[in-house]
Amino acid sequence: MSEAVRPTWSPKEDEYGPVLARLKEEVAACMQCGTCTASCPNGFAMDITPRTMWRMIQFGMVDAIFDSHTYWMCSSCYTCTLRCPRGLKLTSAMASLKRLAMLTREGRREGAFYRAFMDNVESHGRVQEMGMMSGYFLKRMDNPALPLRYLPLGLRLLGKGKVHLPGGGQGRILGPMFAKAREMEAMP
Amino acid sequence: MRKQYGALVVGAGIGGIRAALDLAVTGHKVALIDRRPSHGGILSQLDHQFPTDHCGMCRMLPLMSRDSSSQYCLRKGLFHDNIDLILSAEVGAVEGEPGKFLVSLNRSSPLVDPTKCVSCGICSTVCPVRVDSEFNAGLTKRAAIYLPVPHAIPNHYVLDLDNCQRCWKCHEACPTGAIDFKFEERKDFHILVADKDPEVRAMMEKHLGESNFPLHFTENGAEAVDLLAESDRFRLVLLGLDVDGMDPERVLTRCHELHPGLPVVILTDEARREQAEELVAQGARELLVKPLRSGRFAPWLDKLYMRIMSDTTVELEVGAIVLAGGFECYSPASDPAGGNDVWCYDHPAVLTAVEFERLLSGTGPTGGKLLRPGDGKPVRSIAWLQCVGSRDVKKNADFCSGICCMFSIKEAMLARKATGGEAETSIFYMDMRTAGKEYQRYRNHAEQDAGVRFVRSRPHSLFPDDGGGIRLEYLDDEGRLVPETFDMVVLAVGARPPKGTDRLAEMTGLTLNDWGFAQTRQYSPERTGSVGVFAAGSFGEPRDISESVIQAGAAAQAASRIIKAYDVLAGIATEPEPEYPDVSREPPRTLVAICASCPTLKQTVDIEGLAARLARVHSVCKVATVGSACTPQGWADIEAAAGEFKPNRILIGACMPYAYIPRLKELGRTIGLNPALMDVVDIYTATFGGKGEDDGKAADKEIHATLATAVARLQGADPTPPPVMVDVARSALVVGGGLGGLTAAMAIADHGYGVCLVESEEQLGGSAMRLHTQLDGSDPRKYMEELIAQVRKHPNIKVFTDSRAVLSRGIAGRFRTAIASPDGVFPLEHGVTILATGAHEAKVYESGLCVHGSVMTHLGLEEKIATGQLDAGALSGVAMIQCWRRRSEDRAYCSKVCCPEMVKNVLALKERNPDLPIHVFYRDIMMPGFLEHYYTKARKAGAVFIRYDKENPPKVAFEDGKPVITARDPILREDVVVRADILSLSSGLEPNDVEDLQEVFGVEVNADGFYREADFKWRPVDFLKQGVFACGTGLGPRRMGETVASAKAAAQRALRILNAETIARETVVATVRHSLCSLCQACVAACPYGARVVDLEHGRIKVDEILCQGCGACAAVCPNSATVLKGFHDGPMMSVIDAALEEPA
Repeated sequence: MSEAVRPTWSPKEDEYGPVLARLKEEVAACMQCGTCTASCPNGFAMDITPRTMWRMIQFGMVDAIFDSHTYWMCSSCYTCTLRCPRGLKLTSAMASLKRLAMLTREGRREGAFYRAFMDNVESHGRVQEMGMMSGYFLKRMDNPALPLRYLPLGLRLLGKGKVHLPGGGQGRILGPMFAKAREMEAMP
Repeated sequence: MRKQYGALVVGAGIGGIRAALDLAVTGHKVALIDRRPSHGGILSQLDHQFPTDHCGMCRMLPLMSRDSSSQYCLRKGLFHDNIDLILSAEVGAVEGEPGKFLVSLNRSSPLVDPTKCVSCGICSTVCPVRVDSEFNAGLTKRAAIYLPVPHAIPNHYVLDLDNCQRCWKCHEACPTGAIDFKFEERKDFHILVADKDPEVRAMMEKHLGESNFPLHFTENGAEAVDLLAESDRFRLVLLGLDVDGMDPERVLTRCHELHPGLPVVILTDEARREQAEELVAQGARELLVKPLRSGRFAPWLDKLYMRIMSDTTVELEVGAIVLAGGFECYSPASDPAGGNDVWCYDHPAVLTAVEFERLLSGTGPTGGKLLRPGDGKPVRSIAWLQCVGSRDVKKNADFCSGICCMFSIKEAMLARKATGGEAETSIFYMDMRTAGKEYQRYRNHAEQDAGVRFVRSRPHSLFPDDGGGIRLEYLDDEGRLVPETFDMVVLAVGARPPKGTDRLAEMTGLTLNDWGFAQTRQYSPERTGSVGVFAAGSFGEPRDISESVIQAGAAAQAASRIIKAYDVLAGIATEPEPEYPDVSREPPRTLVAICASCPTLKQTVDIEGLAARLARVHSVCKVATVGSACTPQGWADIEAAAGEFKPNRILIGACMPYAYIPRLKELGRTIGLNPALMDVVDIYTATFGGKGEDDGKAADKEIHATLATAVARLQGADPTPPPVMVDVARSALVVGGGLGGLTAAMAIADHGYGVCLVESEEQLGGSAMRLHTQLDGSDPRKYMEELIAQVRKHPNIKVFTDSRAVLSRGIAGRFRTAIASPDGVFPLEHGVTILATGAHEAKVYESGLCVHGSVMTHLGLEEKIATGQLDAGALSGVAMIQCWRRRSEDRAYCSKVCCPEMVKNVLALKERNPDLPIHVFYRDIMMPGFLEHYYTKARKAGAVFIRYDKENPPKVAFEDGKPVITARDPILREDVVVRADILSLSSGLEPNDVEDLQEVFGVEVNADGFYREADFKWRPVDFLKQGVFACGTGLGPRRMGETVASAKAAAQRALRILNAETIARETVVATVRHSLCSLCQACVAACPYGARVVDLEHGRIKVDEILCQGCGACAAVCPNSATVLKGFHDGPMMSVIDAALEEPA
């Protein structure tokens, strides 16, 4: 039996196997030059550098990957993809990690913002700030007092016209696009 | 009539020069061309080469028959009887077949008559144009009329027509009338314009008045053809696509039928551009898009006129073609994917490697001082960024340029040296590829002794810093982002195929690989897809100097084989060497001829006074003033004077002395005087000072001194014909029957010389027989078996297995060697020796090798996979460790074969079992050149590569007989434990033991036991001892293709000796006056060629006159003047000094 053993490593191959295998393939050619990490504008906020993240994928360290919130920090600016000398699609690898993480409870909470954002855009045709924020806090469902803390800031933004009250928007104008996206995602 | 040559060498860089010289010394006529106006390629810009950090190009000069090539600095000039150097020339068309290629060269005229230009530089000063200088890589500006390189000999100005503003100031300023804009001929340059557009006619009539061209207009194609048929005065046709009466295509065809070579330019509008391009493809010269604007049209027409009038085509017939186009450097500025922003390349503190070399050069913009361009501040910290434009799939560069690691280390060392150690130097790299012989040592030296910092990280981009420097960020070993500011950043830019490779490929029919380099064959890297067309230097793959030189040797060998096979030059009789009378007993009578054609001399000095004073110099019998020594008329004057006064020394004072070398030889033949008794000295440079009174006097003094010293030197010249001649035994001894030895034997045997191949084992084939596959999928075994079969049945090759050479005596051309074979000892006479003793897999008894069945070497694993002993499907894990016991203190070299071997095994295993986990522990992956592509493949296939440091090698333990490897992963910064079924170790190469051969053949080995060549870069397959050559892995770690190249290069060097019937002693050699010699032996140690030995029997110093190269080192150290160099005796040398210091009366 051959394996790459690390203290924190535990296989959860059943659930994540195929996604992880594809991810592994995607970053296999990485030679750990570190260009991605050095060029990442959000790198300072990541607990594990992107370079180490690819390495963890190569080693199949699922637990360590899900312990990290690195990929949630990715803002899809595509700088790493642009700079990678191996031509790897690193931004989409980060997106895959996000999707993978959404399957866990912890991940669902971390991913709440993404879902709240997309749901909001789907139902309004654009971002409706107030609706999105309430959706986000609902989806996180960790601390009911949390939204109240943002009340003063919210009021100030409201006063300046940066945040709009519910209502308005374009309705479900983007509905067909979302439907198409779901259809494509459902495809193998 | 076409001029015939054995071979055409395209590209006069280092590869081209080596190939041309190799062919020339073997007796073939070579045409060496380059599209640049100067020879030397990229090396003309580089002053320093590692490992010596000096230049050493002169070491490539022929060592035997030295007189046939002038022994000058090769960067300055290349002169050889058999080489015609044709510059500013490009291949225009190639037809024919191997053995008889018909080549036409397009030679673009420098527009400055080289026979008139005296390089005074006035033209350049008056020229108003300033553009980036190519020589200084854009760090300085040059005029439109300029010297391409400052050091070439002969060195003439050339006009860059593309940037010329046509102010004609240079033409007016030139004191010798060398610049020819063909003003006179304009009135005969009839232009036929066939176009319907009235605007074209109106514009041309209005604006071309000054140009003086006779214009003829027609709107009808048929009429145009009629006009052309009537007269042959037309020199140019401008053909519009809208002509009446006849299809423009038909007009073009008729033009070419009536007047072949008549330039036709197509006038088109944007809409019909494609049709116009079609016509250009059919032979039109170029196309112009209407509407034509006078501001651009008039200069364009003027320049076209000058090109048409001045450019020439040269027609050649050659046996073989050697392509040595070199490479171009990746330029961030011209990268469509944007190199300027990422690498901040438009910032003055960011340089490419070549620019940095120019900055450090004495002829560079700062005279060698390390000052930052832009603000001139001294540079105190420099960063080198590796792999800029290499190893980057996004820039179509899934290859390693192979040269950058070493040149960056060298530049860092030079920068340290130039600043007295004050500049901090850092190299940012991914893998430091020190895969060549002694490269790792050089790196260790740089890191440990010279204080160069190596950082393994790839900065992603550069930012300008407020202080004029450059800021970059990189990841350190702890995974932290570290910002650092440097005064200067050097981009180690990678190699790209040279411009025009695709066109050249089309003409010669060769195929290009995915990256645009010439596709070559695995086991004969000099062969391209086209028979008779060979790749030298880095044309087939980016290579460093040493490999380029070897590759050039191999290409020369292949070309030589074609020349031999097709008997290309059979019809050309070689002229017999003339015999000259011995004048050493006659009193010297010197004829001094002063060329007074150019006005600068007359203006500066009083020629008659000068002549009168010279006439009083000892031994001068006549001072003749001739007009234009450079013209046939002037030359005839000199000949006549020589006939009249019967001198036995001739001195010519003129400009450009180097240009006269071939002429002197001719003159020698005509008047029966040895050319060694003639000399040409430069008396014109002294006149370029100024116009002041004192300048005239100083120039006068200088010219007199130049001539007087030359007279004194000629008095001492002593070209007594050489008494020592060696009759060459025309066969070769090849020691070693592996790939190298077999290849070398075939190469020599195919030239018709006998070869004796001695192999110590019972079988031929050597260690290459242990290979089963190659990365490119070819079958090395099959190749070896075929090669062995060919050698076995070759009529010129005798094979002795289980035999060794036990004793060897003699000198190049005639060795006597005793061969011990199972049938007894027998003597052998041979002219040359090639040592191809090879290397073997190093023996490793660690990590459970030879103890556990699960541990093996890469070679063992390859065999197990290939023979099916190992079922990859049944394995659950494989681990590999690279650099096992390599590159440590006692083994400070990279074996070069293990990384490709490892990748080969990874790919083979992955192909059979894609899910097999493979872990590779490595230090630096050495996959130079296109091998990088396979490394990418191995990574993509899913092998996990874990880097380790020399200090922390992976630990191997065994559980139940299976290896467990523990190592620290530097990325995770944690220990990784790998359990595997199989552990494969890279054992590396160790040279075979050659202690006995060292003794027998008088050769040396380096600290690692590999043969020590005469010079790593410039004479990579020669030994210091003449007539003995080395190739293959015995010389240094090599892969199969490289071994073949080195074997062919060595064979070519050997053929030089075998092709000669006799080897004559050179005229300038050292001798010993035994009566004065005190036997202090200082000269023995001083001799760089090992030409001196102590003859204990007679108590004398003996000089081997074949080995002696006449450098004079011995004469300089001899305390008693007992050692003398012929022609440089103390007496005459003293009179030379006297003459130089003498005050003219």
